[in-house]
Amino acid sequence: MSQNEFPDIDELLNGFIDGELDQRQQTEVQRLIKHDKHIAERLQELRNCRRLVSSLPYTEAPQELLGDIKASLEERKLLVQPVPVRQYRREHEGARHLLFRKLTTAAAMIGLVAVLAVVIYTIVAPQASIDKLVAVFQPKESEPAVVIAAADTTVKPVSAGMEFSGRLELKTGTSSEVVAFINKAIESNIPADQRSTAVPGRPRESFALTCSRQNLGLLLADLDTIWDRIDSATLFVDTDQPKGQIVIDAVAPEQIIEIAKQDDFQTQQKSAKYFAALNNIEQTLPGKEVLTAVDEKGPQLITIPKPVLTSGEETIKKLPTQLEDSRIVHLTITVAER
Amino acid sequence: MTKAASISINDAVLVQQCRQGDSTATERLILKYQNRIYNAILRICANPDDAAELTQDTFVKVIENIDKFEGRSSFYTWAFRIGVNLTLNYCQRSVKLGLKSLDAEDNEDSSKDKGVLKAFLTDDSSPDPAVVAQNKELCRLVVKALMKLDDAQRAVIVLRDIEGMSYTQIAEVLDIELGTVRSRLSRARTNLRQIMEAIP
Repeated sequence: MSQNEFPDIDELLNGFIDGELDQRQQTEVQRLIKHDKHIAERLQELRNCRRLVSSLPYTEAPQELLGDIKASLEERKLLVQPVPVRQYRREHEGARHLLFRKLTTAAAMIGLVAVLAVVIYTIVAPQASIDKLVAVFQPKESEPAVVIAAADTTVKPVSAGMEFSGRLELKTGTSSEVVAFINKAIESNIPADQRSTAVPGRPRESFALTCSRQNLGLLLADLDTIWDRIDSATLFVDTDQPKGQIVIDAVAPEQIIEIAKQDDFQTQQKSAKYFAALNNIEQTLPGKEVLTAVDEKGPQLITIPKPVLTSGEETIKKLPTQLEDSRIVHLTITVAER
Repeated sequence: MTKAASISINDAVLVQQCRQGDSTATERLILKYQNRIYNAILRICANPDDAAELTQDTFVKVIENIDKFEGRSSFYTWAFRIGVNLTLNYCQRSVKLGLKSLDAEDNEDSSKDKGVLKAFLTDDSSPDPAVVAQNKELCRLVVKALMKLDDAQRAVIVLRDIEGMSYTQIAEVLDIELGTVRSRLSRARTNLRQIMEAIP
């Protein structure tokens, strides 16, 4: 067998030497060199040739080559000097400052969202949550109060089995007319043995009533006709807590009736707290739409026609059926000049 | 694992840093490959001064074009491609200008060296590389034989037998087909063997 017979034999043998043949080709070469002496000699010559070349000593680059390359690169402005430490710090200080500003903005946004959440919660919160607000809020003196008042020496704690007990504080610019109207209404609706006598001449008129719920309902129905003359009406509902009262600002006659008509003492308390919170929210909202919003879920409110002062005329009884039982309630009405 | 494969682990990182203008990374890349590229170029052009200059030009071109390196091949084969192309172009120009002649060296062969290479080639026991490397005269004759090959064949011999590249890597460096590498290497070794046998 010669090279002429197998023109690609050298290529095959070189591939064998270099380990670039697949398994089948390797087997074929091994078979050839085993059976053909000339091919075996040729393989040995090629292998020796390769070894002679690969045995040439390795020559390292001259020492100055790196410097020459760097100089050449600098000439072409391809080798950039490392960034100075001061510049690096300046860049990173800027990044830190930017991060601080971002965090501050995020914190402000979170704070704003929290405030909005509290406001929205106050408006739409369920009754149970409003109860919590009643016990927690400490409003300023000028703002409508929704607190259980303390340090009032006239307050007497009531037991859970007692009837409604409270004090209605009215302030008006026309106190004499209002007092006169109240006197007439009391005479018309409350029996003499169930009322105290007003004390004229004092800056604040006071009427202590211990009457049936029915009579109280009649009296309040009359008072409702002059309610537009009242600048401020605050109801202090006695509780079973010592020195504690539920304060309802801007109270309306129908709210007093609603509270007083509750048979259960706890329900009275709950109703009073509800109106306290409701009136408070209403006072803080300019549109006062909240009454409409919660009307469906809250206690049924009474719709009362706008009152007309009928001085000297017989009082009109518009709500005779609201409180029709004879259970006793306690209410002190005070009138003060504003 | 070949030497070529084992050195490319951190090349991608160094190349990226080099692109960002990191002079330290650039220096590390040069230091990593300068000896190997210089040695390969020296075996192709056979002149130390020319090899140093060509190696310098190679790295300048590598750094100059580092943004164009797409990573389809390894940085190692890409850098070698630039170096080998520069060297082969230089060799072609030298021949045209008549700057390259080995005739003088031919006349320097002493009578005692006659048939030395042929004896090594036909030796049934393969030559010990350490013995060959220590024999300066033998090395000179091998280099002389190499220089009698044409440039393209010499390049493929150098990349395979000196640099230890695989056929695939040689194909990437020389930008030729794998089959061309096989046939060119085969012809180069056959020619080299004949040249070695013919050296008196």
